[in-house]
Amino acid sequence: MTHALQLKNVRKAYQDKVAVKGLDLEVPKGSVFGLLGPNGAGKTTTIRMAMDIIGPDTGEVLILGQKTDKLLRNRIGYMPEERGLYQKMIVEELLVFMAELKGVKPAESKRRMMPWLERLGLGGLHRKKANELSKGMQQKVQFIQTLLHDPEILILDEPMSGLDPVGTNVMRDAMIELSRAGKTLIVSSHQMATVEQMCDRVALINNGEKVLDGRVADIKASYGKNTLILAFEGDGSFLKSLPGVAAVNDLGRYAEVKLAPEADPQAILRAASGKLKITRFEVVEPSLHDIFIERVTEVLV
Amino acid sequence: MNRDILVIAKREFIERVRTKAFVIGTILGPIFMATLMIVPAVMASKLAKSVSITVIDAEGSLRTLVEDSLRGGTATPEKEKPEDPMNARPRNSGTTKFVVKPAVGADVAAQREAAKKEVLEGRLDVYVVLPPDVLSQSQAEYYSKSVTDFEGIRAVDRAIEKAVFARRIGAAGIEAEKIAALTKPLDLKRLRVSEEGEHEDKGISFLLSLILVMMIYVGTLMWGQIVMTGVIEEKTNRVVEVIVSSTTPRNLLFGKLVGVGGAGLLQFGIWILGLVGVSAASGSLAFLSGVDLPALNPVLIAAFPIFFLLGFFLYASLYAAIGSAVNTIQEAQNFIFPVMLPIIMAMVCWPVVMRAPDSTLSVVLSLIPFMTPILMFLRMSVLMPPVWQIALSVVLTLATVFAMTWAASRVYRVGILMYGKRPTFPEMLRWIRQSGG
Repeated sequence: MTHALQLKNVRKAYQDKVAVKGLDLEVPKGSVFGLLGPNGAGKTTTIRMAMDIIGPDTGEVLILGQKTDKLLRNRIGYMPEERGLYQKMIVEELLVFMAELKGVKPAESKRRMMPWLERLGLGGLHRKKANELSKGMQQKVQFIQTLLHDPEILILDEPMSGLDPVGTNVMRDAMIELSRAGKTLIVSSHQMATVEQMCDRVALINNGEKVLDGRVADIKASYGKNTLILAFEGDGSFLKSLPGVAAVNDLGRYAEVKLAPEADPQAILRAASGKLKITRFEVVEPSLHDIFIERVTEVLV
Repeated sequence: MNRDILVIAKREFIERVRTKAFVIGTILGPIFMATLMIVPAVMASKLAKSVSITVIDAEGSLRTLVEDSLRGGTATPEKEKPEDPMNARPRNSGTTKFVVKPAVGADVAAQREAAKKEVLEGRLDVYVVLPPDVLSQSQAEYYSKSVTDFEGIRAVDRAIEKAVFARRIGAAGIEAEKIAALTKPLDLKRLRVSEEGEHEDKGISFLLSLILVMMIYVGTLMWGQIVMTGVIEEKTNRVVEVIVSSTTPRNLLFGKLVGVGGAGLLQFGIWILGLVGVSAASGSLAFLSGVDLPALNPVLIAAFPIFFLLGFFLYASLYAAIGSAVNTIQEAQNFIFPVMLPIIMAMVCWPVVMRAPDSTLSVVLSLIPFMTPILMFLRMSVLMPPVWQIALSVVLTLATVFAMTWAASRVYRVGILMYGKRPTFPEMLRWIRQSGG
């Protein structure tokens, strides 16, 4: 099976620092792939290399099994993190221009953009200048711009950043729909929670190196259900001294309790219920966020 | 040409041509230039400056002669023919009309005091003092609040000189009428020799060529700046990354140059049409009757777009490279001057080339690619150079254009994705040498 995107031992250094250190990455066709990591981890550099905007120092980047070229790039839709519109251009002409660079005829792109504008709440605004739209609206225009040439692969760098909650939902729905239509989605983000539910595969990178990758379900399963969620009223400061508790993230009325191996969640519940009024108790898999923190701190130690 | 370049050029062209600045500039340009051409001509023929002057004569015998001469010459009784208005230079006083005020005061010292006071109070513009020994020493004094009215000063100088000469010749025993006849000034006509024959060149058709040279100069810098601003905008808007994910930075740069250059060419085309129109219509316009407007040289008009585009591509590619390397227009200012230097040098060399258009120095200067757009075109408008020189200059400049756009596209490729620190010139040179991405 050819991969939508494949990076083989890719390395990229800038003048003063190494941004990506020998990265291997495989994005299967049709997957929703999360490229996760904190700011400065090398996500954007990785994506720019995938888009052939910058070349790797060493290593190989393959799109759909081939070395990238112009025609191949026309099959990708790319929304960079640093994004913007020509402020003085009319939305419709802007979209036509961008699609034309991808080889779509103006009449065709005009036909295609209308349903998308409708659906993202921009109906009737296509004759407006970009600078007359709000920031969130501009971002939606960029999203449409990314998919107007009907790409097989979408690379979205921080797609949710700057969107309000409603916009986030609209965007997520659109992305899910594209995924159901068989597109490959590569979504990069530093906010792991927002993409965690959507992605079937993730790669976590930190300092230019891959910390972890694979199917989300597998990653989580490998950690087991080792986390206890408690919501309560009272002073929970004693929780961390209970037997079987490895660590506590105490947020006052809510705590995430990391269990030591072979700890008994029921014993902890019994000990806590004597001192606190428990309103929620749940044994869960750790979040990607927690896994990431754990892996990164392990590396540091 | 690459299809992406065309798509980008089309966008750039349409966006530029649509701006208010373009529309206004296109309309006002010819009006401005027509004004530039017509107003001096009309002024020269219909208006003359009036200057009040007092002659203080310590020598004692010169005052009347000088005053007559300043007033417009009863000293030369022959009535002059009405002159060509473009060449209106009454010989005794240039375009300056003098109003003679008699000196007030008992003696020379008192007259000087009085005249000085009047000048300071603004009731008198000029007074001249002719010392007692003016006939032997040939020295006189000109007093005014400002001494920069060169034409007026020259007229005064000539009037005094004429009076002094007349006195000296008179002292040698020659009659007044003879003196007038003997000292009748010479009228030097300027005739241009060319293949088509000889015609009197009053300097204005030449002025028009100079306007074309100025248009190349201003156009190159202005449209070059527009390219730079566009590049910086794309960078600050962060549009650029989307575009280079669809096409190469090189295509983006070339598309931009072609599109903006096209817009510049369109504007100049409209302007030149306007100029031709004004020239053609001048015969039928009443207020221009008697004002001689020049005909445009068709060879120059054909050469204009070539030299403009050569200059534009050369400088605009450098401007684009700068724009890509910086973050703001303010940051760009530091880099602009070195880029502009050669074209400014070309303007500085202008008088040298104009005085001797076929001297070795002029030939060499006009073959330097960064100066060719200005200086070769200037030579063509002064004295048509040999075809091989024109061809050579175009070929050399074209080669430089290719080299510059190549280098600029390499700086551009790195620069457009660089944010933050402003790079130095050595860093930009390293970007040019760097291979790959």
